[in-house]
Amino acid sequence: MKLYAIAINTFREAIRDRILYLILVFALIMIGAGRAISLLTVGSEEKIMKDMGLAAISLFGVATAIFVGVGLVFKEIEKRTIYVLIAKPIRRSEFILGKYLGLALVLFVNLSIMTLGFYAVLWYKGFLDVTLGKAIVLIFVELLLITAIAIFFSSFSSPFLSSLFTVTSYLIGHLSWGLPLLADKLQSGPGRALCVVLYRVLPNLEYLNIKGEVVHGVPIGGEQVLLAAGYGLLYTALVLMLAIGVFRRRDFV
Amino acid sequence: MTAAIEGRLHDLSASRPAGSHLLYLPSGKYLRAIAPGYRELLADVVYLWSIQYYSSYDAGDRYKYLDHVYSNVITELDPRYEDPYLIGALIMTMEAGDLEMGLRLLDKGIAANPSDWLLAFEAGFYCYDTLHDYPRAARYFERAMKVPGVHPLVARLRAEMYDRSGDRRASWKYWLEICQSGSDEYTRQVACRHVHDLKIQIDVEELQSAVNAYAAARGANPPSLEALADAGFVERVPRDSEGSAYLYNRATGKVRTVAHPLLRRSFD
Repeated sequence: MKLYAIAINTFREAIRDRILYLILVFALIMIGAGRAISLLTVGSEEKIMKDMGLAAISLFGVATAIFVGVGLVFKEIEKRTIYVLIAKPIRRSEFILGKYLGLALVLFVNLSIMTLGFYAVLWYKGFLDVTLGKAIVLIFVELLLITAIAIFFSSFSSPFLSSLFTVTSYLIGHLSWGLPLLADKLQSGPGRALCVVLYRVLPNLEYLNIKGEVVHGVPIGGEQVLLAAGYGLLYTALVLMLAIGVFRRRDFV
Repeated sequence: MTAAIEGRLHDLSASRPAGSHLLYLPSGKYLRAIAPGYRELLADVVYLWSIQYYSSYDAGDRYKYLDHVYSNVITELDPRYEDPYLIGALIMTMEAGDLEMGLRLLDKGIAANPSDWLLAFEAGFYCYDTLHDYPRAARYFERAMKVPGVHPLVARLRAEMYDRSGDRRASWKYWLEICQSGSDEYTRQVACRHVHDLKIQIDVEELQSAVNAYAAARGANPPSLEALADAGFVERVPRDSEGSAYLYNRATGKVRTVAHPLLRRSFD
């Protein structure tokens, strides 16, 4: 119940911050892109529309997850409302999970509306393809993980540093294929060890990226989607546990 | 003031060699690193830019980095993207006049997209129509034919390329397949006419070779075509596509047919 109350309040707060205006920008991009692409390209209109739509959904989602996520805990501390909350019989884990679930709900609503808009544009253009939904499901799982990472960093750092750390984690997550290559090039030492540790510890976000495959019609089995979603959710749970652990140790006296 | 600065900047940028800014376009292998998770979108953006760039005839040497743009950038970012292979090869072949460059790009596309018949078809068509290299065209059409769902036209082009390459037996085999199971009545009729003509051409060639071999071995022309079979120079003496026997002139050693060609001008 307490978890639900915190989550709903986080959701309302985000709505009040006009986060959903991003959807309007998304809609304008999709409509504008549809017109511009048909004027500029030779063939490929369908492919470019799908790439652009999926990339926009992902980018707006990641931007929301990072820039709202890093402020969630910090704002409570900065405005000193955290003192009111921790004085009540609320566990710190409930506070972190409530904040997380509230933002996850915002992202879910955001993503659902953008997906409907995206499908509407594709349908209007005659390019509707429901298999794109597999990529969108994994985008959502990626957003859940990014949100968890943002909350983890914001549980002990400032919004600026948290944004920086989360963006860096996102980039490394998508470029982790380069870490073993880099480790091979480096002589034994701290640099090589860091590459190996980062490769083992950080999630490989490319497992959650099947945008290219679905656009090109490469068959993606349900098993692959389920495994990738499970991989992302497992990492999300681990990062949330870490965030709760760090937040418990913080002193607000 | 700003207009003056803008004018000067425009003059400075116009004084650079045409296409020089393409020198700084990194390979797709490196661009992948700056577009984590969005390399397909980056490929779209560079492709759209390339269409605009190569549609303009202002830059004199704009084909200098053509191979780099399509082979090293766009198709490295998104190797499954079919249109850059097709459009890139078209620009390389028709605009830049470098057909081998276009075929290299299509080869790359074929290797990256084994389930796409269109790229091999396109390469085969350039070899047939522009290069007139029929054996090479036949190899590309052969490759396209291995892909399920290939357009029926490719089967006809493959059969024709083998004929033009001089491999009439392979051509006859493929025309016969189309004659028996072509997609429509008209196609089947045309294919059956090819089969009619090719069978006669193959028979006459083989009988003529056998006659020549017989003459070389025995010092005289065979008394009849049946003598070729008796002596083991042919397995049996065939009849032509209309069921008639082939004509043989013992004095000249020439074999010919009484049938008239249905598609070719003559059987000579």
